[in-house]
Amino acid sequence: MSNLASSTRMNQSRSILSNTIAQASTATLETPAENESIAIDITGFNAFYGSFQALHDLNLKIPNQKVTAFIGPSGCGKSTLLKWCNRMNDIVPIARATGSLNVGGRNILTRSTDVVDLRRQVGMVFQKANPFPKSIFDNVAYGVRLHYKTSRSELSDLVEWSLKKAALWDEVKDRLKRSALGLSGGQQQRLCIARAIATGPEILLMDEPCSALDPASTARIEDLIFELREQFTIVIVTHNMQQAARCSDRTAFFFDGKIVEEGATEDVFTRPRKQQTEDYVTGKFG
Amino acid sequence: MKDSVAQPRKHRSVARRKLFNNSFSVICLLVSSLAIVVLATLLVAIFSTGGNWLSFEMLAGSHRENNPEESGIGQAILGSLVICSICGLVALPIGVGTAIFLEEFKPKGRLLRIFHGLVQLNINNLAGVPSIVYGILGLTAFVYMFGAFSPIRVNDQPDYEIGATYFYQTKTLGGNYVRFPAVPLIQPVIKIKQGQIASKINGDKFKLNVVSASTEKSEYANQVNETVLLGTEAKLSNRNGNEVYEAKTIGGEPFVFPAEATYSQFAKIIDPITVSNSAGDTFSLNVLSKSEPIPTNPTILAQSVFADSPDPNKRASASIFRENSFFHLHLPFSKSVLSAALTLALVILPIVIIASQEAIRGVPQTLREAAFGMGATRWQVVRSAVLPSATPGIMTGAILAMSRAIGEAAPLLAVMGGVLGTTNHLSSLMDKTPVLPVTIFKWAGDENQGFEHLAAAAIIVLLAFLLLMNSLAIFIRYRYEKKLS
Repeated sequence: MSNLASSTRMNQSRSILSNTIAQASTATLETPAENESIAIDITGFNAFYGSFQALHDLNLKIPNQKVTAFIGPSGCGKSTLLKWCNRMNDIVPIARATGSLNVGGRNILTRSTDVVDLRRQVGMVFQKANPFPKSIFDNVAYGVRLHYKTSRSELSDLVEWSLKKAALWDEVKDRLKRSALGLSGGQQQRLCIARAIATGPEILLMDEPCSALDPASTARIEDLIFELREQFTIVIVTHNMQQAARCSDRTAFFFDGKIVEEGATEDVFTRPRKQQTEDYVTGKFG
Repeated sequence: MKDSVAQPRKHRSVARRKLFNNSFSVICLLVSSLAIVVLATLLVAIFSTGGNWLSFEMLAGSHRENNPEESGIGQAILGSLVICSICGLVALPIGVGTAIFLEEFKPKGRLLRIFHGLVQLNINNLAGVPSIVYGILGLTAFVYMFGAFSPIRVNDQPDYEIGATYFYQTKTLGGNYVRFPAVPLIQPVIKIKQGQIASKINGDKFKLNVVSASTEKSEYANQVNETVLLGTEAKLSNRNGNEVYEAKTIGGEPFVFPAEATYSQFAKIIDPITVSNSAGDTFSLNVLSKSEPIPTNPTILAQSVFADSPDPNKRASASIFRENSFFHLHLPFSKSVLSAALTLALVILPIVIIASQEAIRGVPQTLREAAFGMGATRWQVVRSAVLPSATPGIMTGAILAMSRAIGEAAPLLAVMGGVLGTTNHLSSLMDKTPVLPVTIFKWAGDENQGFEHLAAAAIIVLLAFLLLMNSLAIFIRYRYEKKLS
């Protein structure tokens, strides 16, 4: 019964997805339009782990309120770039970067960057769902409590809004006080998305958010990503080519620390300009 | 040639390998049962020696010299618990704080990194240092405070203290004790000031009215204006046909005051009474008893408990009575409960730190990433993500460390001495107290055979405490693990 329900839902969401892809791809031009605002502007960016150079002289413009996918084989540096976008690499003692990485018009690589505020603006969802061992409510309220002083009613409104945005509200509204660890993997990941959007970020970074999930949960999250595009700029790292094709507007293909090709998703997957890209998206290597 | 994969020709005998396997498991079994047998023997020996001596009276009583039947470990249990809890209160915040610094605030600067490494190295080494070494350290650091204050004399008054009120205690001819607040505190010569409130042991308070009738008659008279100095025992004698009491002041000046109508030959002082010293100074002593009716043994200031020593220091100290409030503190700490607790805190600090570090390291990195990703500062990450998950591990480590502390004898012997029993109840951190391990140590070596049995009984109690604490640690770990999953 539930299998059937979920599969029909999956089919529905698939069809919605393919429709939207079609719309999106017709709307998107080859390069970001001149008047389109840029959320993240990367120029001459190099990243290092100790003496090892992980990224070489990257140039990339990530448009506002679009889904941008980073694809490429393991170890090509896409996660590294993603983590630099909200300075998560600060935790790694040997990581450093040069060049410029502009978020909202400011180079965030400078020493004077307020990392705490940056991470409020640039939220992150991780590969493995990592809810805190607290209640569902406290998980979503966590970031809000870090950054804002809120009244109790404001806070519960915000939690409800975030959970609804993350398409989790109906499933958890009766057990907000229960531990988040009791949720399924897919629910946990959506909880992490709710937690990330609760602080009101402009950009959401997602590091392979579906790699540990089953297809049904993956479909729900892809669905969610598509809806969230209305409000947030989303950057998603993925190993799943279909996923990138289904839910992103633009795609950047990484190989060996360099961006090989970048453009509208439709073009990258159907009319790649580089042989390497074609080989990768058609599954010849990777 | 097909056999490109090299195949050794000679097989090891399967039977031999199995034999080795089986005999090794037998050896392991033997070795572990040996440990259990030793433990069991120990337990049986202790229970057969001391089991019969366990009783409620024994648990509540205190040490009696040469009287094992009536001795008990009540004070020792209380002392051990107090010292152990203070030790935990001190060691836990410092230990957890250090562990957080070592694990979560790893510095980036070169100099700080060296400091960080040094601290870590020190802690790893300190965990193995014998506890008697800590005892000597505690003796220097807490008991004597590196001799930073005045030279140490046993039972001497400390340099700085709060929470203690000093009294001069004097015996009246009626056999009552009277106490005068001694102000200032450290004064080799006893002074009683006009208007001072004195009290009897039974709590009656009265005001001293000291009036000198003379001025500048003697070397001593200058002070007489404000002080009366009560000295040695008063003697009844006859002067010019009047019965008088003669007493001596501390300064050696004889006082003479008339013996009025007496109760059983004792003089009573009722207000006002005129006394004089040998120089002819006369002054009146106004004693106003607040208790009504005046007791049959009214306050008669005569007989003094001051030791009759030519050394004024000793004479003064012999009569000093100190009333300690619960917050009594002095520097240096001297041989006291606080010194002992701090020393034990030093003993268990490395254990607490290492256990906390392990617990903090066990917190999944994903939790930290989640918190950092939300824009938490380093402290917020520690406070809201790391510590809640590490708490069960830290608590378990702390309790196990405290169960080590409660069994330590050597550092306590060094810091507090072998106290077996005290007459006073434990009232402040500056008191001394017997503790279980030291009591066991002293009793086990006592010539009186009975104390040997009593020591065994005390060991049973100590073992029960250890068992209790260890099971508490296991319980906490079990409960939190259940809660977190």
